[in-house]
Amino acid sequence: MKIIDTGDFHRTILHIDQNAFFASVEQANNPELRGKPIAVVGGHGRTVITTSSYEARAKGVKTGMAIWEGKRTCPELIIVVGDNRKYTYTASRINEIFRDYTPEVEAFSIDESWLDVTHSLSIFNSAVNIAHLIKARIKHLFGITCSIGIAPNKLLAKLASDMQKPDGLTIIEPDNVSRTLEQMPIKELCGIGKKMQLHLNMMSIYTCGELGRCDEDRLTRKFGIIGKRLKQMGQGIDNSPVVSFADEGDVKSVGHSMTLERDIDDPAEIRRFLLQLSEMVGSRARRYNVSGRTIHLYVRYADFFSSWGKQTTLKSYINLSDEIYRTALGILNTVELEQPVRLLGISLSNLKHQAEQLPLFEDERKKLFATQAMDSINDRFGRMSVTFGTLVPGKEKAGSHVIPPSWRPDGVKNIDVE
Amino acid sequence: MTKNPIRVAVVFGPGRTIRPVWFDLQNRKHSIIETTYTWTDLKGSARRLHFSVRDEGGLYELTYNTAEQTWELNRIEDY
Repeated sequence: MKIIDTGDFHRTILHIDQNAFFASVEQANNPELRGKPIAVVGGHGRTVITTSSYEARAKGVKTGMAIWEGKRTCPELIIVVGDNRKYTYTASRINEIFRDYTPEVEAFSIDESWLDVTHSLSIFNSAVNIAHLIKARIKHLFGITCSIGIAPNKLLAKLASDMQKPDGLTIIEPDNVSRTLEQMPIKELCGIGKKMQLHLNMMSIYTCGELGRCDEDRLTRKFGIIGKRLKQMGQGIDNSPVVSFADEGDVKSVGHSMTLERDIDDPAEIRRFLLQLSEMVGSRARRYNVSGRTIHLYVRYADFFSSWGKQTTLKSYINLSDEIYRTALGILNTVELEQPVRLLGISLSNLKHQAEQLPLFEDERKKLFATQAMDSINDRFGRMSVTFGTLVPGKEKAGSHVIPPSWRPDGVKNIDVE
Repeated sequence: MTKNPIRVAVVFGPGRTIRPVWFDLQNRKHSIIETTYTWTDLKGSARRLHFSVRDEGGLYELTYNTAEQTWELNRIEDY
């Protein structure tokens, strides 16, 4: 198959989506779970379903449901505690398979990737052939299925992979783009969320066809500079390249987040987790020799869906854990928490590479040497082998780490997860 | 039960393949019918190899620490 892009150059893009990834890995791991409705939860104390198998979805189980809701919807539902290390390892190996077919692989998240196979077609005959080979290898090695979309650009390839699940293979030929999009609801397009959908609906725009025909000036008046982009999306135009990890450039932020073992509202416990996250962010920033000026704090509440994020920018660059902690705590103290906290996240951005420089004052030098000694021990024996006394397990055990959207198969963005 | 040192019989095959064959648990030898999943991670600088294995009665997670050359039993799920 040869696909001709609507832009200036010819491209063939695959979008590959691992079906119900975490649940599928758990079913491959444990034969007793295969073919059964299962729900994956974040930790032993967690009560919210993070993902579920297709068997569970068919019976009405949804992400974000409390376990009791899931059990009420599907009494035979089996609850499985997730293991992020297993998922990140599997995702990395799957991305290695992708690189056998093209170096241009962009990981969109842990279970979704784009492949630009334009220059590989002469070797592997066709994009469909590549898709079948990838499907077979993933199934053989990991026992899991994926849905693949083939199209002239990333936007349409993602749309195509979403059209048939599980284990699908959907092709959008250039000649069929208009026909495919005409009646397609706008919410199906990657990048159009619930709020944007609402705004577009208020303009009487419900389908991609209507969005593509909408006057660009009208969209620009309403949405500013993204108005043009929205119209192009409605027309199925997307010239954005597949950016492989190696081409992404320097890391732009260092962040960690964790779902707590149970929802907490005790300020002392929240501060403790904040310190733990600060240490994780600080140690990783120091490992990569970067420091940053902007600290961002993210909080998700117990109801799973409400959250907030606030940030502050300092005058000087920091990467020591206690400095990150104090700044994050400063942000937290400006907010009155409405509910118990489910998830906490801290990120350090506005980064610069840090030159080695000894502090002038004795106390500062001691702090730096102590931090370096601590990092060195933790690099060798594992994270948190040596840490702040406050973080020695107390009332609450550590939370489970969240695999962030910025997850990449290797390199600095591949966070340590447990 | 977590992180118990354990005695494991293993076949080191060509191509750096490692296949656990049996392990001892509470004075009983468990013959492994199938390795259902494998993955690796790092603990500090030590690479650990994880094996989900199945015998007649349950599913177990065995972990090999390549730096310390030790085996641990990390998880049991009875059928």
